[in-house]
Amino acid sequence: MTDRDFRKQFEDVTVKPGEVLDAGDTSLDLGAVSHHVKTTPEPTAWGEKVRWLLSRYALILVWAVMAGYFLLVRPSTFGRIAAFQSIFGSQSTLVFLGVAALLTLSVGEFDLSIASISGLSATTVPVLVSLHHWNVAWACVVALLMCLACGAINAFFVLKVGVASMVVTLGTGTFLVGIAEWISSSSQVSINDPSFARVSLYPILDLPISFYYGLALVLLLAYVRSWTPLGRHMLFVGANREVARLAGIRVDRVRAGSYLVASLVAGIGGILLVSSTGGFAASGSAGYLLPALAAVFLGTAVVQPGQFNPIGMLIGIYFLETGIFGLELLGYSGWVQDVFYGAGLVVAVAIATIVRIRASRG
Amino acid sequence: MNAEATARLEVANVSKTFGTNRVLSGFNMIIQPGEIHGLVGENGSGKSTFVKILTGYHAADHGAAVNVDGRPMTVPIQWSQIHKAGVSVVHQDFGLIDNLTVAENISVGGFQKSRFARRISWKHQNEVAEAALARINSDVAPTSLVGALPVSQRAAVAMARALRDTPAGSGLIVLDESTRSLNRDELIEFYEAIGREVASGTSVLLVSHSLLEIMLVTERVTVLRDGVVVGDSLTTADLTEPEIARLMLGKSLNKIERRAIEHDREPSIQVRDLSGDAVSAINFSIDKGEVVGITGLSGSGFESIPYLISGARAATSGSVTVDGSTVDLTNATVRACTKAGIALVPERRERDGLAFEVSVRDNIALPTVTRRGKWWFLPHAWQEKVAMESADNLGIRPRDSSLLVRQLSGGNQQKVLMAKWLTVGPRLLVLHEPTQAVDVGAHQEILRQIQKVAMDGVSVLLVSVETMDLAEVCDRILVYSVDGSLSEATSREPDDILDMVYGHSDVKEMR
Repeated sequence: MTDRDFRKQFEDVTVKPGEVLDAGDTSLDLGAVSHHVKTTPEPTAWGEKVRWLLSRYALILVWAVMAGYFLLVRPSTFGRIAAFQSIFGSQSTLVFLGVAALLTLSVGEFDLSIASISGLSATTVPVLVSLHHWNVAWACVVALLMCLACGAINAFFVLKVGVASMVVTLGTGTFLVGIAEWISSSSQVSINDPSFARVSLYPILDLPISFYYGLALVLLLAYVRSWTPLGRHMLFVGANREVARLAGIRVDRVRAGSYLVASLVAGIGGILLVSSTGGFAASGSAGYLLPALAAVFLGTAVVQPGQFNPIGMLIGIYFLETGIFGLELLGYSGWVQDVFYGAGLVVAVAIATIVRIRASRG
Repeated sequence: MNAEATARLEVANVSKTFGTNRVLSGFNMIIQPGEIHGLVGENGSGKSTFVKILTGYHAADHGAAVNVDGRPMTVPIQWSQIHKAGVSVVHQDFGLIDNLTVAENISVGGFQKSRFARRISWKHQNEVAEAALARINSDVAPTSLVGALPVSQRAAVAMARALRDTPAGSGLIVLDESTRSLNRDELIEFYEAIGREVASGTSVLLVSHSLLEIMLVTERVTVLRDGVVVGDSLTTADLTEPEIARLMLGKSLNKIERRAIEHDREPSIQVRDLSGDAVSAINFSIDKGEVVGITGLSGSGFESIPYLISGARAATSGSVTVDGSTVDLTNATVRACTKAGIALVPERRERDGLAFEVSVRDNIALPTVTRRGKWWFLPHAWQEKVAMESADNLGIRPRDSSLLVRQLSGGNQQKVLMAKWLTVGPRLLVLHEPTQAVDVGAHQEILRQIQKVAMDGVSVLLVSVETMDLAEVCDRILVYSVDGSLSEATSREPDDILDMVYGHSDVKEMR
């Protein structure tokens, strides 16, 4: 082997453009070029379909099995309409928080302050009404404006200053819990107004109206995400910000908007909470963050696997609540909630991931 | 080469079947010591499957045999064993970690730990790095951060890592599309640097899309088509590029019909006094249906031009006129430029071009969703229709718009990127390195598409360092010189264009 002169070799190259492509053939038809296409054996259409359904709706199957089991062992309690009501009627605050988390996560942002924002509005309303004798409606308006301001603060630090969203919202979240405790003097302030309670508890078909608020909100978000240009823009801002920018999307506007709307939705969730319970202690707000995030991630295992999606999130919430409610009926209580939330999340998402990988392998 | 010498790598009867799909069938290859051996084939032809079998990622089907320096390896391959025998891999785009130092990058996987504290001895690591770098004549400081290095030095670091554990004059280095981001100059530097190592007996298996690179540096080449060897260790010197391409594709490529342009009218695109980034005060115009190329020394600043005239980066001065309406580029946004009819196909499709985790359909439909939909309703049917029409026009395979972009080959991804911007019906199509890292078939299809778009009356600006592409499709080629001026190439021969790019002084004499 002699030392070769690569520079010379490169410089000696005299390939003319025509030469490279010069050939007498007709047109370049790529369809005719025998490409390497996967030739899986004709699968039975049935097996294919089952696999497809399983990869998307496995969680619902598990949910049904779980409900069936509880029904079998506790037919007298789990089988009653009251059980149905307490599973589906009690989670609307979580649905609102889930939507708030989804709004920010789906555009690639983290918002850990939503639970605190929700807690702030749930504290502000009774404080203004009971301690300062405000009109309930005005108190709600002020509470929501405060929430919007929190969203604006988050957006300012993340977008204008450029601090990581996790850091900013962890900070503001803690900060806001403190503020809420301060204005309520660290105690639970109650509100006693039957007409305010009706805003969330008015029954329709045996379920409180707040259930339908949550359902409507989730459907609205699902619609916006897949049937409007805004939804497409959000998808791309979340998937690849630079691609979105080069497609003419006003990326920062979408991101800021997601913080503002998420805060507003979280605030409304807080108002519904205090309306249905009649009082709220600010220190409890942190407890809502994990369930909301768990439901959002659990939702990535259903309907549109691998993607944040609102309907999956809704299913996730009621799946988790069914499990916890059933376990409480069996006599476990307190600790079981955290154990089930944590384990349920990891196991369900892991199974969905495995099923999806299997399915895509063919 | 000595015929009696033991082959560095001897591979016999390697097959791989996924399910019922045989992607590699009876693969054989012999690489001699000190040989640079090329492995080419279209995407999906099985070449990356072979590399993955060689590195133990995939297990080959029963019956395969692999010998390194005459010693049989256990099959399926275990990486630790074959690596010890001297095989190492330089990954696609080098696989370096930017925020670590040169020494850290070189030592990954081979840290020397102190006996008791299990502490890494950095002094020793720096020495190892220096020794490995010296073998390829590189004087990069082991303590400098890899992220700050120019591409040629990054290449050196990656090579040094591959050479780290093999004594000089032995071993086999697999370059798995490692050099695809190098330009011509950097390629030369790279091969000059490893030349001594190769001359001393180290073998190289070069897997590359660039037939030019294969032609220039390899002694023999193995060609794969659909998992079968169709060219068995052919001597490169006896071959021409079209011959290799024909073997790969199983058919010939044909040249695109050129057409005449009417120059008698007012140019439809006029760029005036454009400044920004390293570019200052340049002017040029493009006729309706004309393809204008801009090229220059890579890194000299002309790469900013596509982004400046499409609003992706702010210009400090300048304007672009599209069919009579002028856009001020100093405070233009992508939105404003798109509205004026300018579409940008950016260079790095993974970073700037496409969302890889989103479906082909959604990616293609993205630029038009606002225009085609109402703010409150966006029908799904036309998105599907647009995507499928694009797939048919550009030959995107597989023809399934619900696949994620990530699941397509590089060439098909690039076609999706082009399709995405053709859907907006641009009046000026700006392309930056549209044929980067795509296979031969896709390469031709993209060039053909550029011509077709121009024939439909669109003005095209093609910014690229690939002089052969430029020579093939452009009506005029402008060369950007280091002093920041644009001059029209007097010749359309790729070599003359290169002379203009590199020999700046000659350019002045010519004018």
